[in-house]
Amino acid sequence: MKYSHTIFRKYFALAFISARSNFAYFAEVLSRQLFLAVILYILLRLWQQTYSHCGLQQMAGLSLPQMLWYLTATEAIILSSSPISTIMDEEIRSGSLAMQLIRPTPYPLYRLALYLGERALRLLANFFIGSIICFVLVREIPVSVVGILALAMALPLAIILDFLGNFLVGLAAFWLENTSGILFIYSRLTMVLGGMLIPLDLLPAPYSNLAKSLPFASMVYGPARQFVHPCNFELLQFIVLQISWIFVFSIIVWQVYSLALKRVASNGG
Amino acid sequence: MAIKVENLTKQFILNKRDGWRSIKTEVLAVDSINFSVNSGQSLALIGPNGAGKSTTIKMLTGILHPSAGQAKVLGLTPWRERTRLAYQIGAVFGQRSQLWYHLPPEDTFELLSRIYNLDRNQYKEQRNLLIERFDLGPFLKTPVRKLSLGQRMRAEIAASLLHKPRLLFLDEPTIGVDIVARQELRDLIREWNKQDGVTVLITSHDAGDIEHVADRVIVINHGHIVLDDNLSNMRQRYLSSKILSARFHGEHKTVDLHGAKVLQSANYSIEVEIDTSVVTTEKVIKHILELGTIADISIEDPPLEEIIAHIYSQPVTNNDSSTHT
Repeated sequence: MKYSHTIFRKYFALAFISARSNFAYFAEVLSRQLFLAVILYILLRLWQQTYSHCGLQQMAGLSLPQMLWYLTATEAIILSSSPISTIMDEEIRSGSLAMQLIRPTPYPLYRLALYLGERALRLLANFFIGSIICFVLVREIPVSVVGILALAMALPLAIILDFLGNFLVGLAAFWLENTSGILFIYSRLTMVLGGMLIPLDLLPAPYSNLAKSLPFASMVYGPARQFVHPCNFELLQFIVLQISWIFVFSIIVWQVYSLALKRVASNGG
Repeated sequence: MAIKVENLTKQFILNKRDGWRSIKTEVLAVDSINFSVNSGQSLALIGPNGAGKSTTIKMLTGILHPSAGQAKVLGLTPWRERTRLAYQIGAVFGQRSQLWYHLPPEDTFELLSRIYNLDRNQYKEQRNLLIERFDLGPFLKTPVRKLSLGQRMRAEIAASLLHKPRLLFLDEPTIGVDIVARQELRDLIREWNKQDGVTVLITSHDAGDIEHVADRVIVINHGHIVLDDNLSNMRQRYLSSKILSARFHGEHKTVDLHGAKVLQSANYSIEVEIDTSVVTTEKVIKHILELGTIADISIEDPPLEEIIAHIYSQPVTNNDSSTHT
């Protein structure tokens, strides 16, 4: 019990210092909020026109206000992402990874704690600003307490899964000259197959089901969908899927990380 | 025994491109070195760029896996028991910071206390001691980005001592630091080594760091140990010259003695390099006394840079003979 408490305090301290350090990048956080405001306004007009032209009250089981709150959630999640793979790329290339390897904390867990701290801060800011913007534009909050609880359950797992994906991209720096290409592909897949712009339910049935079963949907679509349209069975099904993907990704990360450690050349000196 | 190294070898494989072809080249960074370090000793590992000293440190801290050979650091095999070893060693890499750039040093200290699972009372006691000894008080609450390099390095070394390591690795700890701050850092490292018994392994290009911090020096070149000795023996063995400086009350006559080479000569002073293999120091002093009325005279060893340059120019010897405890 005492041991687990000590471990928790260690990783909490890492997450906390990461969040605190990110306050220094206030201008960057602010610019993301401005971008969020602009993109939400465009999406609102776009979907208002779509609903109006189609003459539909609901699309993919969502009303227009629900659709806009869904998009607020997906944008808030996507825009909260942290450039961890770029940081890792730099650490591996410059040799500063050495500083982390001499600590009594496994590097993947160290990075995970920092990532959670930073992303928690960005998510809070994005959801806060995004909710205000969305409310001003929609004048309605079609979100229930159950939806908020569902989001609170699904979001941490989504963030951990996204971390594992990003960590794998960062590890590629041990083999590749430059990881920016892989990162570009990964981030675009997260946006498109994660349902950032269009809910995956709007895709034709076979593609929709396939997309929902992929890890990208577990990172973005799932939490946002449960936020605006909670369903106990779907939530349970979804969380089982998230945990399964986390399990698979963890094994891959551990294997790749073990291989990568043997390739550490650590520049300098 | 703090460190025992046997036939430690590290080979890197570099991929070079020749058009479309990829050519693999093997580089032997560390070539079967042997040495050991007693607890409480202060050892300098020196050598030119690419000599293998940082690679050696990285193998001893468990960051790099060796290609062959064995090493025990505080009884542990570094690359197999890196996490256990991490609790007992501290490390400062001069060109890499462990402090959080946008936060004050005290925040990093707090974080490190959690990372190393330190008892709260023991942590506070050690932190206060370090603040006092390293004079960190004036900038403890200042963001690291606003500190001078000297202040930052003091905080870096203090951070590495927070968990009371038994062994401290310092890789170029004074690089880029001004001369006053450099001397302060050397004094602090020396003090911690002598008073608290921390074993120190330092690498540096700065001869002053070695002179002030180390008891013993290992010179590495091309992955081999070319010298393993204490400082005074190193001087005697590798440079048979002394520098004699004399000041006169009036004008002096010219030096005319085989084995005494004039380095500088002014109206009232002279600087002579004595080749002790040709002429004794005593004979040179006698000769200098005959040149005029002496106001002051001093004899010094040549700068360590010269000794190191001399060693680098020597052919590689069998490193088995240089093993030293």
